[in-house]
Amino acid sequence: MLNNNNLVSAFKRYDFSFFGIACGIFLVGIINLYSATHATTRDVAEGLYLTQVMWFFLSAAIGVFVSFINTKTWHRLSYFAYAFVCIILIAVLILGHSSMGAQRWISIAGVRFQPSEITKLAVVMCLARWFSRLQNDRETGLKDLIIPFLIAMLPALLIIVQPDLGTGMLVIVISFFMAFYRKLKWQSLAIIAMIVIVSGSAMYKFGLKEYQRKRIVTFLDPSADAKGSGYNAIQSKIAIGSGQFFGKGFRKSSQASLNYLPENHTDFVFAIFNEEHGFFGSLLLISLYLILFYRFLWLSTSVNKFFDSLLVIGMLGIFIAHTLINMAMVTGLMPIVGIPLPFMSFGGSSLVTLFVCIGIATQISNSRNLF
Amino acid sequence: MFGEDDIVKSHKQRVDTMANIIVIFFGIIVARLWYLQIYNGKLFFRYSLENRLRKEVNPAPRGMIFSRNSELLVHNVPRFDAIVIPQYLKDSEESIAKLAHILDMTVDSVKKILQKTATQASYRPVTIKKNISPQELAIIETENSKMPGVAVSPFISRMYTDQEIGAHVMGYISEISQQQLPKYRKRDDFNYKLGDFIGQAGLEEQFDLDLRGEDGYQFMEVDAQGRMKKHTLGDSLLKGISNQPPVPGNNLRLTIDRDLQRIAYRTIKNQAAAVVALDVQTGEVLAMVSTPSFDPAQFSRGLTPEYWQSINDDERNPLRDRPIQEHYPPGSTFKTITAIAALEEGIVDEKSEVICTGVFKLGKRPIHCWQKNGHGTVDIYRAIRESCDVFFYKIATKLDIDVLAKYARLLGFGSRTGIALPRETSGLIPSKEWKKKRNGVDWQVGDTISCVIGQGYILATPLQLAVAYASIANGGKLYRPHLVKEVFNNNGDVIKRINPELMSEPRISEKTLNIVRKGLYQVAQQPGGTAYWYRGQGIEMAGKTGTSQVMRFSADKIHNRCEDNEYKMRHHGLFVAYAPARDPKIVVSVLVEHGCHGGSSGAPVAQAIITKYMEKYYPELRKKIMDQEKKESRLAPIHQFASEALRGFDSAGNINVDENAIPAAATAPVDE
Repeated sequence: MLNNNNLVSAFKRYDFSFFGIACGIFLVGIINLYSATHATTRDVAEGLYLTQVMWFFLSAAIGVFVSFINTKTWHRLSYFAYAFVCIILIAVLILGHSSMGAQRWISIAGVRFQPSEITKLAVVMCLARWFSRLQNDRETGLKDLIIPFLIAMLPALLIIVQPDLGTGMLVIVISFFMAFYRKLKWQSLAIIAMIVIVSGSAMYKFGLKEYQRKRIVTFLDPSADAKGSGYNAIQSKIAIGSGQFFGKGFRKSSQASLNYLPENHTDFVFAIFNEEHGFFGSLLLISLYLILFYRFLWLSTSVNKFFDSLLVIGMLGIFIAHTLINMAMVTGLMPIVGIPLPFMSFGGSSLVTLFVCIGIATQISNSRNLF
Repeated sequence: MFGEDDIVKSHKQRVDTMANIIVIFFGIIVARLWYLQIYNGKLFFRYSLENRLRKEVNPAPRGMIFSRNSELLVHNVPRFDAIVIPQYLKDSEESIAKLAHILDMTVDSVKKILQKTATQASYRPVTIKKNISPQELAIIETENSKMPGVAVSPFISRMYTDQEIGAHVMGYISEISQQQLPKYRKRDDFNYKLGDFIGQAGLEEQFDLDLRGEDGYQFMEVDAQGRMKKHTLGDSLLKGISNQPPVPGNNLRLTIDRDLQRIAYRTIKNQAAAVVALDVQTGEVLAMVSTPSFDPAQFSRGLTPEYWQSINDDERNPLRDRPIQEHYPPGSTFKTITAIAALEEGIVDEKSEVICTGVFKLGKRPIHCWQKNGHGTVDIYRAIRESCDVFFYKIATKLDIDVLAKYARLLGFGSRTGIALPRETSGLIPSKEWKKKRNGVDWQVGDTISCVIGQGYILATPLQLAVAYASIANGGKLYRPHLVKEVFNNNGDVIKRINPELMSEPRISEKTLNIVRKGLYQVAQQPGGTAYWYRGQGIEMAGKTGTSQVMRFSADKIHNRCEDNEYKMRHHGLFVAYAPARDPKIVVSVLVEHGCHGGSSGAPVAQAIITKYMEKYYPELRKKIMDQEKKESRLAPIHQFASEALRGFDSAGNINVDENAIPAAATAPVDE
């Protein structure tokens, strides 16, 4: 029974830092999105930012709700969630809407949803439970990784054949991130690195679709491109570079307004942001992200349940992988793989997942000293 | 044993390592940003503002269409728009006045167009007049220096060499509409944009993906003044973009013969009519014409409101492709199918005889033959030759409608032929089940009576009739009608070859076919036959006339002259024929809306087409037939419609061959 005192103390105990930072980044993001789509002549982008604001309220509400759910529930549900997600992914392959040649969407009550988004979270929960099963602090070797590897690979492969290579790889990267935290031996790390290099080159040769291969070739040698993927990369670089130190100013992006940048409301928002706010602006933005990440790192060491700790690390993995890959891709350090920037890119499914993570982290933080 | 929080603490070292790695990675990103924004910032800034890199699309030339003998039917011609680039308009008043004078427009109307687009960037060209004439082009080009800001912009327009002849087969292209965009993107998995031209009808639509080609693009630098210059691809930072030349679309070679197409069109151009000519042995479409027609080129260069109005106002709907998109009651041309069913089922044979008094009694109800006074004794040959209704009414009392439907389907009725053209209709072959489902009423003998003479519920397209008669002529093989022989690229390499496709093997006995073919032969070759007057010379035509009722008439008006009725109430005239009878090469199906009689309206058209075909492809065979005809030295006069038809055969209507005007009662349900 909650009485007033309990309410007040619950309020005092409530950790607002996660929601605070997330909303801060989202605010920057929505202003940027408005600017990126404002000048566009393409009809599809009109009013996108309003849609995004609606998604924000929905996601934040879900996040706050989640912040009152004890992690025991997640522990209990984790395997079911994992199985459920795998079934949904198979359903998408069979029934999904195809967009630009890829089967990534399903409709739930008229709302198009991208199940690969919640997959990441389900995999993180599942792995957290699996790793926390071993109640000791031994180092992890390759043998211990067989089951986690299978847990990660099944949904990853289902996503890759959609085809969405970027998100599929992301699931693997996040899983690896958790394994590293679970004291993966350095020798094992070296072996895995070798396997990745060998199988990666084999996959490139046999397993990739033409356009995916083209993207990698484009990255390695932009002059080899004839279809215009290199054009995107160059336009993105022009946009970023032309921002210089202080940027051109709000709504002054010429690259966005003339539609030089494709997908300027999703994958390339960071380029627009850099063009308008320059080096200075992106330093501030990156700082915001880093503060969020350090809150996660701090949280992972100050909880007293190993499952919670693993869960926090896994969610951190989701954030870091998205942020780093997107920034590296937009600045021309990586091939273009279509990974959104957390809280900045347009996209409802992504926002829901991110706020669920924020909610879980908040709950863990709140319950930290409850005994 | 550890406590759980000890396990967590023991992982702190890993967390510290991860923190370091994160710092290193973001350090790399920041360094990269510094390199782009600070170190190279000025350079990129120049690119983004002063030298805007623009991707200009070079549209691919659309594929051409050729006739079976490689005559060019559809190609592209450059045309020009008069444009103004507001940025360069210096003495605007003077230039606009000059331009208006050249284009024969008022100064105000030019200014209005410019005002409408005043909000867009001033380096964007504004189209003042589309598709200017060569004279206007020449004047603008020479006066260019005196009118800064005025220019011409080329675009590629579709040219149809025979204009409205066969326009329905060729179809047309026009800009993709807002509504089509999402649908077509999904259909073709191709990112269409507004302003893209796509095929909207006929072959242009059906073979759009083949004809379209692949647009190229080139990168242009646009300087601060908005002027374009070819991108030099010199700067190492812009390394990696290259121009892409357009890939021209593929060409089509059709099965269509241009001469037959022209003759077919000329013979029916004043009517609302459909003509299909097929090769009997392959199903190749030799001619396919629908009237009234339209000029497809008008669509590709942007319709003028007047032209659109004229098409819209024509009640006969010129955009409709009658041979495949319109179905009609086939009338007496369907009696052939009834005869086949009756012969195959043993209901009649070649010796069966019926006495026609002009009236058939179904219970107490009289049903009339078109021949008021009756035909007398009629066997199957005479029944076909003179199209005696009573003979078939008798069959109807013994023939189950589902059995008739089975034979009709064997000959391709009741389903789409699958010709490579969009929006084909399937016609209708009724069955007991169909009527029950549709009307909730059981099938009655009266319904069958209507169906056996091709009235009532039965509907067929002119193309289906041609396909069925080709099958009768070639011994029962049913070929899918096909229009495109091959798809080939500009080097002449064949990309796709489309071979004749047999839809079904013969399923009707040769004996039955022989009897029916003999009847059809007599229709045109024996005195008394409904098409005897139009048999022509040296073509040995065999066929069947038909009249399909548009309106039901009361008993006293049944035998009135059709021509006395109002245009909209007159019967449709049909004629389907193949030739030469003993060695069939070509089948022609003609339908003339409100043409009154199949013989007088349809047969001359078929005669003209067949004559031309024989002259062109089988001159020796034709000569042989002519010699034979001379030997038989018929005394009966022959009307030379082949030549008359080319001049317009208005006189043909005067000849009084009172063919089978179907009595109204025959189609009325027996429920009184």
